[in-house]
Amino acid sequence: MPAQSIWTLLSWGPDGWSDDIAYGVLVTIALALATLPFGLVIGFFVAFAKQHEEPALRLAGNIYTTVFRGLPELVTLFLFFFGMPILLQYLLRLFNPGATIDVNSFIAGMIVLSLIFSSYASEVFLSAFRAIPKGQYEGGYAIGLSKWQTMRLVVLPQLIRIAFPGLENCWLSLLKDTSLVSVVNLAETLRNAGVAARVTKHSFLFYSVAALVFLVLAILSSIATGFILRSLGRREAR
Amino acid sequence: MRIALRIALAASAALLTLGVAQAQEKTLRIGTEGAYPPFNNLTSDGQLVGFDIDIAKALCDEMKVKCTFVAQDWDGIIPALQAGKFDAIVASMSITPERAEKVDFSHKYYNTPSAIAVPKDSPLKGVTKADLAGKNIGVATTTTHYNYASKTFTDSTIKGYPSSPEEQADLANGRLDAIEDDIVVLQQWLDSPDGACCKILGQPSPQPVEIFGPGAGIAVRKGETDLVNKLNTAIDAIRKNGKYKEINDKYFKFDVFGAES
Repeated sequence: MPAQSIWTLLSWGPDGWSDDIAYGVLVTIALALATLPFGLVIGFFVAFAKQHEEPALRLAGNIYTTVFRGLPELVTLFLFFFGMPILLQYLLRLFNPGATIDVNSFIAGMIVLSLIFSSYASEVFLSAFRAIPKGQYEGGYAIGLSKWQTMRLVVLPQLIRIAFPGLENCWLSLLKDTSLVSVVNLAETLRNAGVAARVTKHSFLFYSVAALVFLVLAILSSIATGFILRSLGRREAR
Repeated sequence: MRIALRIALAASAALLTLGVAQAQEKTLRIGTEGAYPPFNNLTSDGQLVGFDIDIAKALCDEMKVKCTFVAQDWDGIIPALQAGKFDAIVASMSITPERAEKVDFSHKYYNTPSAIAVPKDSPLKGVTKADLAGKNIGVATTTTHYNYASKTFTDSTIKGYPSSPEEQADLANGRLDAIEDDIVVLQQWLDSPDGACCKILGQPSPQPVEIFGPGAGIAVRKGETDLVNKLNTAIDAIRKNGKYKEINDKYFKFDVFGAES
């Protein structure tokens, strides 16, 4: 390997690695953003189930969070990414022998991260549910709102405000968990930085770049959440 | 029930953007790591290059199949093979008994030999036990080279080092008469400014499989005997027709195949 200056290594284009790492950053952001809505919705419903009066629903919700919070993220990822195609293929071959099936690594990553994110988020939602006094529901019913309307118009706006700081935590760990997906062949930030580090033998340089990327993403997130929090607060004041 | 299952499957197939296709006979998908220069690595413009890649391409030409490459992180490379993400691993994977329980291996396609390096002005002529009698030989402990040296060079003083850089430094500053290590490790050091003092004297012989292991092979899923046989035939063929030597010489100044098996 001819000696290259670090500026060449960090340049954009065929000689430098910046474009590869930038592509990885896009994958990281896309994966986290694509996971977020699913994680939030599933997390909300799991929390809803966990404080439901029906014991079977409560049990199901508790099993869900126990499993996906308890398993190491990497194990969940391996199970889904490598196990799912084997299972699907087995089922598919009952109908069409010789068919092959493949699960896209981005989708597998999304599914697994949604499961993990939602199990943590459900606990946040649960505590937020518990923070809302019964009187709020009763008030809603008293003025003739249906169950769904009470949830949407009375409970949900308060719930989001209470849950928000906890969800911000979940978001930041989601952002970092995306780096696990490199083991299932998705070239995100850390994988591309790692390849650059080992190929060029400048480990410290490229891992520092990766660290900087995650730090910048975290700072941008906290700016964005601060902004959202302010607008939620304003709505409350109104 | 069957219909419900069918619908569920169709839906999941659509949802997961799966490539549901009849298995294609002629394309072999090869998994590699992409971060192990000079054997296989991604370049900054996203190309896969290296000795493993060139060998894999030559084998595919020999077997008359079309090959595609997948760069996959090392930690997930065997599970990915088992899950059918690709059909063969060509990634400098050493053939070990533990791995052989999970995958089937072709014959080795290389086995970097152990070699002896000495200072450029060394009076030493050869690398036999007699040549090295009474000399100080540095070797990294807990390596196969250490096991070999301590069994073979019983008339010499074997000095153990925690890793290769220390033994290299002591050879450069004159505390040692010779060092034994993997030839690729030695060559990379000799090509660097720190290694300007020294040269490779030779490879001790024979290098028994019981000590050094069989080398690097191509891993395929368990039970795919047909593919293993085809790969073995192809490896023999490129060894014979000179293609292997051509690739070898592009990357190395020595024969990386090691002893004939």
